[in-house]
Amino acid sequence: MSLKPTIGIETHIELNTNTKMFCRCAVVDTDEPNISLCPTCIGLPGALPVPNKKAIEFITLLALSTGCEITSKGMFHRKNYFYPDLPKNYQISQFDLPVGLNGELEIVIDENKDYIQIERVHMEEDTGKSSHSGSGRIESATSTALDFNRSGVPLVEIVTKPVISSSKQAVAYIEELRQLSIDLNISEGRLEKGNLRFDANISVALEDSNELGTKVEIKNMNSLRSLERAIDFEIQRQTKALEDGVEIVQETRHWDENKEVTSTMRSKEGSADYRYFSDPDLPNMFLSDEFIKEVETLMPLLPKAQREELMTTGLSLSQSNILSKSDDWIKKLYVKVFDQTKDSVASYNWITGELQGQMRKANIEVLPEWFNDDYLSEIIELIKSNKISFTSAKIILTEILTAETTPSKVAEQKNLFQENDSEKISEMINQIIKENQDIVDRIKSGEDKLVGFLVGQLMKQSNGSVNPGMAKELLLKELEG
Amino acid sequence: MSNEFNIKNIAKLASINLSEEEQDSLSNDLSIILEHVNALSDLKLNSQQQEIFIHPLEKELELQDDEVVESLTHDEAISNAPESKDGKFVVPPSME
Repeated sequence: MSLKPTIGIETHIELNTNTKMFCRCAVVDTDEPNISLCPTCIGLPGALPVPNKKAIEFITLLALSTGCEITSKGMFHRKNYFYPDLPKNYQISQFDLPVGLNGELEIVIDENKDYIQIERVHMEEDTGKSSHSGSGRIESATSTALDFNRSGVPLVEIVTKPVISSSKQAVAYIEELRQLSIDLNISEGRLEKGNLRFDANISVALEDSNELGTKVEIKNMNSLRSLERAIDFEIQRQTKALEDGVEIVQETRHWDENKEVTSTMRSKEGSADYRYFSDPDLPNMFLSDEFIKEVETLMPLLPKAQREELMTTGLSLSQSNILSKSDDWIKKLYVKVFDQTKDSVASYNWITGELQGQMRKANIEVLPEWFNDDYLSEIIELIKSNKISFTSAKIILTEILTAETTPSKVAEQKNLFQENDSEKISEMINQIIKENQDIVDRIKSGEDKLVGFLVGQLMKQSNGSVNPGMAKELLLKELEG
Repeated sequence: MSNEFNIKNIAKLASINLSEEEQDSLSNDLSIILEHVNALSDLKLNSQQQEIFIHPLEKELELQDDEVVESLTHDEAISNAPESKDGKFVVPPSME
């Protein structure tokens, strides 16, 4: 039986506005509970919601950046449910007239591009946070405690069409969406803080079937790693069930991070369960052409266009993709170093490899103030002109990351400039040959590997200042002669 | 539009318990309401008229600037809570 999985993803993005969606309480990032509340966000009778203009700008920007059609005549609905994390007993959301419809997002996997179709982009409000007391297990909790600081924080939901076919694609999609929201400056995009949260709808059907299989929703995936594992697990579980002739039940399943399995959470609700109706407190929302044009002027260079630009410097698609998803200072540094050296591969490797690697190792989060952008270009030029070795370049980088100095100064002080004068190197080689006659004899009788030992001796005696490529070449010539 | 509905399912969605008697009487009331609303489908409307956007409030939505306004203090916000602990509202156990 040949089976194929189909996945759709619902993502919630918390917007980084100053205030909440329907009231002017500050959006706060604190463990101190219930300090940013008003009658509106705790659902007191008579409180009237008024939408946040900035949030509407942000969602319009996101919808435009994903190529959605903008619903100029939209409205808000009440999504009713019985759960105490929203004290109104409903969430203000959008139903049949969301801000954006029918968009698309380009994703990159290795050297290939793919396109994920987006069904809708709609505006809603976040819920409060509940914690359960008692034995610690939710089933045996004796009470639920609520913090409403998050209640009413603007939330955008982006729903894909069921077009994703693997966990790898799902991860690439979330990575792209995350970067997009950061570049649009509408969200911090920090997964560990819950700025970006996602659920996956997964079904498995026969390869040649035109119909999708029964859909199962997976919740509680808090990282890209858990998204990948949960999808892989669920595809396997459903595939096995179908092969064994067991029917798949439409339900919501919970991803257990520790056990790495999904388990039944509740039977799936249909939209009837939420009894949607238009919110009588909120008049219809008209997004004028003028407003949309104004929002368009805020559009930055999107990740897709950044990749295209980076590729014109000579980077591959995957390299451009990695850079497009890096911090802003890294992107800027690459552009600067490339401009100066015109060497895309060296610029890319030094920034994403050695520089970031050394910074991670030394726990340096931001480049020190004295670190001049030109330093990397200088290092790359010194290597290219054979003035320093690659090993010396790494030492120089370590020095300029930890002390206020320049690459040339370090090279000078540490005697790292390479000896490129063949006569001088030959002199040293003759000395080494004299001192290691036994090794030379062994090389001549076939132990080629020992050439490396002699090169090593040469490097040691010269304090690493000899150009190793040149040294080896001259040494071999000498040995042959 | 069909007037058929499942009163038990509606009660379940609303999380209310209805006795057999209440189910009968509410079914009756709901049928009358639906019949009344169904009269709308008899209207002959052109496509433009069908697009009319109906909302109880005949005004455009106003938006507010993203500027913080001080509101309730923590103590005020929590003062009506029947029970609270460590600054949080405490309610009977609930689970998803």
